[in-house]
Amino acid sequence: MVSTVQNSDVRQKDVDHAVVVAVTSRALFESDTEEDGDGAYAAGVAFPLLQALQRVNEQLLQRNPAESLLFDVVLMTTDSQQQQSSRFMSSTRHHGLEVTRFCFSSEEDFIESLLKNNIQLFLTTDENEVLQATQKGVPSVLLDEHSAVCSSEQLRVLFCENAIIRPSSDPTPASRQAAQSFSSQLGKMRQKFGMFDSPLCFTLVTLRGGKDSCCGALKALRSIGVSVDEAYCLAGAPRSPILSLLRPHFLLSDGFSNLDD
Amino acid sequence: MSEIKPKDSGDDQDWAAAKAFFDNLKTKVPRPPKPQNAVTIAVSSRTLFNMVAERKIFVEDGLEKYVAYQVEHENEPLKPGAAFPFVKALMNVNTRLRELYPDSEELFDIVLMTNNHAQVGVRLINSINHYGLTIERFCMTGGNSPIGYLKAYLTNLYLSRDSKKVTEAIEEGIAAATMFLLEADSGLSDTQLRVAFDGDAVLFSDESEIIVKQHGLDTFFEHEKEFENKPLAQGPLKCFLEALGKLQRKFYAKNERLNCPIRTFLVTARSAASSGARVLKTLRSWGLEIDEALFLAGAPKGPLLQKIKPHIFFDDQMFHIEGAKDYGTIAAHVPYGIGQKYHKGKLIEQPEKKE
Repeated sequence: MVSTVQNSDVRQKDVDHAVVVAVTSRALFESDTEEDGDGAYAAGVAFPLLQALQRVNEQLLQRNPAESLLFDVVLMTTDSQQQQSSRFMSSTRHHGLEVTRFCFSSEEDFIESLLKNNIQLFLTTDENEVLQATQKGVPSVLLDEHSAVCSSEQLRVLFCENAIIRPSSDPTPASRQAAQSFSSQLGKMRQKFGMFDSPLCFTLVTLRGGKDSCCGALKALRSIGVSVDEAYCLAGAPRSPILSLLRPHFLLSDGFSNLDD
Repeated sequence: MSEIKPKDSGDDQDWAAAKAFFDNLKTKVPRPPKPQNAVTIAVSSRTLFNMVAERKIFVEDGLEKYVAYQVEHENEPLKPGAAFPFVKALMNVNTRLRELYPDSEELFDIVLMTNNHAQVGVRLINSINHYGLTIERFCMTGGNSPIGYLKAYLTNLYLSRDSKKVTEAIEEGIAAATMFLLEADSGLSDTQLRVAFDGDAVLFSDESEIIVKQHGLDTFFEHEKEFENKPLAQGPLKCFLEALGKLQRKFYAKNERLNCPIRTFLVTARSAASSGARVLKTLRSWGLEIDEALFLAGAPKGPLLQKIKPHIFFDDQMFHIEGAKDYGTIAAHVPYGIGQKYHKGKLIEQPEKKE
């Protein structure tokens, strides 16, 4: 059973042109703790990411109040209790989050909910949900405590080679295609800002190949409309020191790499 | 898509895959060593290549026009910059090391560390390929500070044309120096890396220089004689000299001392008779060797450096840097210590700090 409720506090986006991003209630809120005695949930690990998405929207609208290529953020929850549902909605309002819709479904139906709402990026803290969604061709990101310390001022997207996908989730043609079109959408959004002081920043990291692999990836990304701002070629050097400095909000690795590992 | 932070085996897997990648390349490119084994030299794009014309566009027309220009010309190789001969000399040492120690990772690893926007990277990589430089690692930070990345690569020496970044690096304990444009080149060796160092405030701390500046030469001589047997504290480039020494000993171990492709020079204003002993004893106490120690007793460094022809000369005082450049030597300024407050012996009026 799948149902959707609109958030009347927030202007609805043009779903044909917006980039629809779904975040789960468990990623967005800490449902174990309460905030202020107001009954609202405290911020979860997805907060900085959401704030960064909002900032991109703000800046896009500043440049063009009629802009339709915006992030459209929806909250997805599989918690079926009625009381939980209304608390998610009131917590969203309490924090002034730009969530346009609330999508309720059972655990079995959540994939259906993703597809029905035309979700282009799915954010969750649940590894299984990532696996299932990816297999159905929905680009998905696993958030964790590292996400909580990312910037809320600039959305940082990392493009990285296929090499770090877990072996159990080989990219299907459908998921490759979806990831590529999502990347192109982001690329278009990025073009609306200048090089300096953009609320959206693309970084390319190649972990294993040499400079020519990295150069090839740079050009491949250009060909799908993504102009990266920063590039790091590690050529086998340890990844963690560099990645911990970059602090990306999420990683994209399908759909642009035409090089073998 | 997946986690960015895999558990520890990630690093090992990357290393193994990188090894496989390089081993399988058709054109045999030597694979880069692990940072912890290598002597890592980070060079900026403007020290590696001559980007004066492009820089002018950046300053006059802004970032967007500059990047657009670079992209438009990305298939045109850039001309060599001040650090180019140094980099080629490092590559030559690596070739010799690989001949003697085919499985060792104790080599120079050259990393391109630039603030440039990644789109400029294509032209930089094309230029690197044009000259056949073995630079496989790079960081194009798109405007962010390179300091964190320098540390991540365990950098042993950082060369840049931006003195602010160099100063920051030194403050963070990374050996660094500012390079200047030089209309090259005059007969530098292509079989031997030659590196010249000033002593005080470069290899050694500025403790003695402080005495000269504040109390004069006579006091300085007395002091140095009195403390002849007390080692000086180390300066910002001591560790780099140490790294060079470690590689030199690998040649000595294979009976290649006479043919060693690394030679180091100390070029100091100290005089051998009165203040030189302390310097030599300090080096000995550190277990470091320097191949040639030249005590100028205050004579200008330029003419001597012209004879030495180093690929790079490090000094903390701009007066000596300018003197070296006047005689065609590639000089790099180490912005450390009391020398920064003085010019030609006079205290500099500190201008308002601009932000």
